[in-house]
Amino acid sequence: MAQPQSLAAAPAPAPASDPALIAAWLEGDEQAAAELVRRHTRALARFLAGAGSPEADLEDLVQEAFIRAFRAVDRFRGQCQFRTWLLTIGGNVLKDHGRRAVRHKVVPLDDSVTARDGDPHERAVAGEAEARLAVGVGELPRLQREVFLLRAQQGLEYEEIAAALDTTEGAARVHYHHAVKRLKEMLQ
Amino acid sequence: MNEDARLHEAARRLGMAAADKVDVDRMAAAVVERLRSEAANASRPAWFRPAWLRMAAAVLVLAGGGLVLRQMMGPTTGHEAHFVTDDLTDLSADQLQDVLNTLDETLDLGSTMLPEADLDDLDAQQLQAVLRSLEG
Repeated sequence: MAQPQSLAAAPAPAPASDPALIAAWLEGDEQAAAELVRRHTRALARFLAGAGSPEADLEDLVQEAFIRAFRAVDRFRGQCQFRTWLLTIGGNVLKDHGRRAVRHKVVPLDDSVTARDGDPHERAVAGEAEARLAVGVGELPRLQREVFLLRAQQGLEYEEIAAALDTTEGAARVHYHHAVKRLKEMLQ
Repeated sequence: MNEDARLHEAARRLGMAAADKVDVDRMAAAVVERLRSEAANASRPAWFRPAWLRMAAAVLVLAGGGLVLRQMMGPTTGHEAHFVTDDLTDLSADQLQDVLNTLDETLDLGSTMLPEADLDDLDAQQLQAVLRSLEG
């Protein structure tokens, strides 16, 4: 049966932007906060896991980062995207959690292998590279590690990274360059 | 695949497996619940917040413990207010004069408070009276 024209043509409501959700949350809209969490949880979890968070603590760290972000969100001035700002808060949460304890954490090879499609040999090689990279990233100085992850894992532009980390674009490029150089040496 | 591409591919996947295990909806519910409870906590009067309640409880425990300890120690020994002059009643005039001289030196009050010339003329009872007045 054909749908009535008015329903069939009704455009889906555009998803609210992050700034709109933040404004709604500041007005007391809990659903806005929940939407922000749903929208950015995966990216934050990837960032934290990549930066060395123990898998057992990952959910707690993600939650703590969100809580800190919401506590301080009225001071967020939009100098970068909300997600980028959230990731840097995640970096602080992880540091507080005890960076040294998690620095040598190795991503279990099984997780990397079982989650991929394709040739088993290629998957194993990729998983091994990922595990070694995780160790290498954990051994980088904090700023290099965060710049590397924001750039290589999250795909952010240097300008955005610089704004989030309160540094210059040039400095962000240098940190990234040093990080890549050290990681290549570690991976060889 | 060259080295750069391999590195970036590995970086892109880094943490993905662990992140995929995080339940997004459960996370959203947990965060909202915490935000709600923090807001409720902040709206309570200061004395009703957990930290203040804990402190109040600690004070009560200490006070109660002190009372119990006092009960266990038994009745007080009847030790009443003690005055130095009670110990001075057995002293002679010369001994009292020495005490006053020592006190005089200790307080460094010199002739302004206790002129020795005047003290020399006092008898034992008068010296004791001076000492009592110094005790207040």
